[in-house]
Amino acid sequence: MKLPPGVKSKDFSDAIKQFEEAVGKEWVFTSDEDVALYRDAYSPFWGEEEERVASSAVAPNTVEEVQKVVKTANAYKIPIYTISTGKNLGYGGSAPNLSGSVVLDLKRMNRVLEVSERNAYALVEPGVSYFDLYRHIQEKGYKLWVDVPDPGWGSPVGNALDHGGGYLQPQYRNHFDSHCGMEVVLANGDLLHTGMGAMPGAKTWQEYKFGFGPWIDGIFSQSNFGVVTKMGFWLMPQPDAYLTGTVTVPNHDDLIPLIDTLTLLENSGISNGMPGIGSPLVGGFMMPPPSPEVSAMLAKPDGISSPELQRYARDKGIHYWSCTVKFYGPAKAIAAQWEYAREKFSAIPGAKFQDGEFYKLPLTPDQFNRVHKPEFGIPSLEMFSIGARSPLNPTPGEGHIWFSPIIPRTGEAVFEANRIFSQAARDFGLPILSFSLPTTYWMRAFIFLFGFPITHNVATNRKNRESFKKLVQIAAEHGWGEYRTAPAFQDDVMATYSFNNHALLRFHETVKDAVDPNGILSAGRYGIWPKHLRKARA
Amino acid sequence: MASRREFLQAGVAASMLPIAGLAGTSSAPAVETLPLYKIIFDHRFPSSREFAAQARTLGLAAHGIEGDITDVWYHDLSLRWIQEPVAIGGLTAHGPLFCLERLAWDHRMRVVFRGQHTVSANGRMEHALTGPQTLLGDASLLAGRPGWASSVADLMARFPVSRADTCDRTIVTPTRAAGLDSEPLFSWVIAPKKEDL
Repeated sequence: MKLPPGVKSKDFSDAIKQFEEAVGKEWVFTSDEDVALYRDAYSPFWGEEEERVASSAVAPNTVEEVQKVVKTANAYKIPIYTISTGKNLGYGGSAPNLSGSVVLDLKRMNRVLEVSERNAYALVEPGVSYFDLYRHIQEKGYKLWVDVPDPGWGSPVGNALDHGGGYLQPQYRNHFDSHCGMEVVLANGDLLHTGMGAMPGAKTWQEYKFGFGPWIDGIFSQSNFGVVTKMGFWLMPQPDAYLTGTVTVPNHDDLIPLIDTLTLLENSGISNGMPGIGSPLVGGFMMPPPSPEVSAMLAKPDGISSPELQRYARDKGIHYWSCTVKFYGPAKAIAAQWEYAREKFSAIPGAKFQDGEFYKLPLTPDQFNRVHKPEFGIPSLEMFSIGARSPLNPTPGEGHIWFSPIIPRTGEAVFEANRIFSQAARDFGLPILSFSLPTTYWMRAFIFLFGFPITHNVATNRKNRESFKKLVQIAAEHGWGEYRTAPAFQDDVMATYSFNNHALLRFHETVKDAVDPNGILSAGRYGIWPKHLRKARA
Repeated sequence: MASRREFLQAGVAASMLPIAGLAGTSSAPAVETLPLYKIIFDHRFPSSREFAAQARTLGLAAHGIEGDITDVWYHDLSLRWIQEPVAIGGLTAHGPLFCLERLAWDHRMRVVFRGQHTVSANGRMEHALTGPQTLLGDASLLAGRPGWASSVADLMARFPVSRADTCDRTIVTPTRAAGLDSEPLFSWVIAPKKEDL
């Protein structure tokens, strides 16, 4: 067992005993076999001394038990690392930033506390998975959808706190944005309700976010200032129908007006599903790589923008770009919205249109089996069945980490980001695509996702880690920041948010020192270290 | 216990033998077998289908998937495991095993047998197995089956409840006559933790 740094063996064993008294002996895990389950399956340090591993784990069942555990940890200065369902694969899984931490595993707190069909919200505990919430809604027959990520085995609380996202209408797609109200256990064991929940007997905890005074929910996301034990979420009323349509445009430069038009449609509330921009020339996320002939052209320095490729596309009659727009709503309304979208896209010379799927909802069993389920609020593990083996990721079973910068929603930014990242890929010998399109569409920004393969080869992982860090730096030099990253890189990413001599991090550290003076909560999470470890790391 | 290297060497030496021709004796003492609630197979892979066919002849309930375990997880296993942590087995691609292993952890269950079945450089099948010593030393009981996937089903039907010692073993066999699978396959058994038995 790897003890937390600076903790005496006697203190640790005394704390473990108190954890056992708090939650029951069977819910404190200290054997190597049990603790190994908290390893990050996709750790970029796999098999190396630096791999971040837990010392033990404790799994409370109630908020009162969480309070007891936290109070004990605070008394003995034992670092604890909170997880909900621990399925944050690609971004760290359930392993702590600080080796030797005790994992505070909240999976047993899996109660759906309330769902209001009338006002379309839910209040859940952190151990509730998307499957659990979906099942609850199905069993009750509520006409509500949960915005789920893909894969959907994680926790709404954990995913929202990590700023994850899904596929439904924009007001639900960003999961932290769609939360309303939290319960938080502080480092001293005190219990806090945010928003309207701060008022005893409040009737609108899950209906109005802000309460009175500063809105502090944000400081409990991507941070280590408290243990979130309840969280409210706004749910999407089941729409009447779903419709998709695709526009294709012929020329390279058409990407710019294509994205501008899409952005206008989304910001105006016309198109309200998660769109998808693609190109038959480059493939896309989880799609086959382009043909060898096109790959050779893409591999050149001017890549997607080369006159050769543009000539190739024109001669072959291949459109350069496509954009699939998606609509939820009444059948008549979304048909009109698609018609309006076509009108707007028609301003791009050569634009062509194709009607896509139309479903009256709920889905029939046959439709259910065919669709991409997260776009219908249905959690799925299908992602894991996709044959991910490719030249870019020869050992998919060993995992990946995501490099995921936020990029402006413009065609110019997409071109520039690709030019910069492609050059970096060539310079570092990185296994990333020659050209990438946005993977996640926030209302006001794109997320690019580049999967870095994890292997069980130490030398390869070291090389990829160094390349990843350089890529973070290069992105920052161009004004693009990561939205989320694995613990191995959180310090590096936080360091790029450096305006005014790292004023933001200094503020985080000021808050950390005030609310968690012993630094027991998730030390190092998102680059925020407690004072005693900051000094050691300086 | 022989090292992994020794087992590998033994595997090379025995490369012309069928999986059933390896160590163990049919006169080994009877052991209590682990009841499998269900075995999972993947329709996409010939070996997995062969595994399921043999499992059914042995009286095991077989559930077919096409890569995705969501349906069997959501409608069956997740509900069953809340009531009782029953053991399951399978011969699938890596993805289903990866998911089910992690989902099983939450029900105090573990992967207690794992086999990776890959085509080796010389074109033969290499089976890297980790599991109870009593099982892996009992391979002669698998005699008489047409292919390795059927033998794996036999092996699961005889999976011991007691698994005090685990060992690694690598066995080399001919490839299937009826064609290769498009991905490396994994055989596995998920069962309650030893202390919960």
